[in-house]
Amino acid sequence: MIDPSWSKHLADVLRRNDVRMFATVPDYIVSHVLEHLWADPECRVVTVTREEEGIGLLSGAWLGGRRGALLMQNSGLGNCVNALASLNVASQIPIVLVVSHRGDLGEFNPAQVPMGQAAAPILDALGIRWIKPSSVAELEAQGDGLVKLAYTRGLPVAFVLPPELTGGKQG
Amino acid sequence: MSATLTRTAATRLLAERLTSEVVVSNLGQASLELQQSADRPLNCYTFGSMGQCSSIGLGLALARPDVRVVCLDGDGSLLMNLGSLCTIATEAPRNLALVIWDNEVHQTTGGQPTATAARSSLAAIARGAGVEKALEVRTEEELGRAYDRILREDGPFVVSVKIARGRTEGRLDRDVVGYARRFRQALAARS
Repeated sequence: MIDPSWSKHLADVLRRNDVRMFATVPDYIVSHVLEHLWADPECRVVTVTREEEGIGLLSGAWLGGRRGALLMQNSGLGNCVNALASLNVASQIPIVLVVSHRGDLGEFNPAQVPMGQAAAPILDALGIRWIKPSSVAELEAQGDGLVKLAYTRGLPVAFVLPPELTGGKQG
Repeated sequence: MSATLTRTAATRLLAERLTSEVVVSNLGQASLELQQSADRPLNCYTFGSMGQCSSIGLGLALARPDVRVVCLDGDGSLLMNLGSLCTIATEAPRNLALVIWDNEVHQTTGGQPTATAARSSLAAIARGAGVEKALEVRTEEELGRAYDRILREDGPFVVSVKIARGRTEGRLDRDVVGYARRFRQALAARS
């Protein structure tokens, strides 16, 4: 059973760790989180045209003293790879990635599968610490620690959101 | 009409007007020129992530609405991230000016022509994206007037500066982590 409060829990993990600047190219799954952020006057959400733009924008925001998270589908992770490597990892600029995981268990769209399968190896290749919570309990147990690690280490981290947590998208 | 204004002259003309503004510079020639002409802690040099200079500037402008942010981008780099102009127009930060050293070539890689050498105008693209204050300047006089506007008036501004081709002499200091730290601390201290 999917607990529909997962999106509120994730929004709360981010907000209670002072992440209040957001960039997104929405997808069906992360839009559940965005609903909570759009409704919060203390949060700034910028819809960008391409996910890589969000990497630059949130890196600038961090240099200006604000913590940021980029919400996207794993296809968007593919669009961000060079910026993550040559800006965030090279310059030690932390950022929180929230990546809905398409292209894995239960996927209906063949075009989603190759990037879905590549997502974790790409994060690993960049040295980005990530978690893939399959329940609200796991999200609550690991979420604060993951965000804290980003700012301790000065590097990106990623929440990868599997269909076991979110219900995925039904085709 | 080939441009006669140089990147060095255009950078120095800006540097002599700067007080406590943030300047974000594009990888390669823009950062090298800024480092050599006017190194200061409130300069945010970039060394990679081609295309992201304007987005970094937008993020800074949104995070620090009390500080004026000037980006020094390149034509080749902005052409990689034209969507950034739409996001700048939509968010409309009053404290952001995007200046483009537009020499119509990929200078760092040997001078291969970009789309602005043919038919594309970055000022016209910016206007189409919704940035009302989008200018193209070609002379020192025009540029000086543009700087006076972007440092006083509400933005966002996009200023395409048609500059001569040619590399800046010298070698970029690539203390990537050190410069990012120095910049962040200097900006935090400017409360």
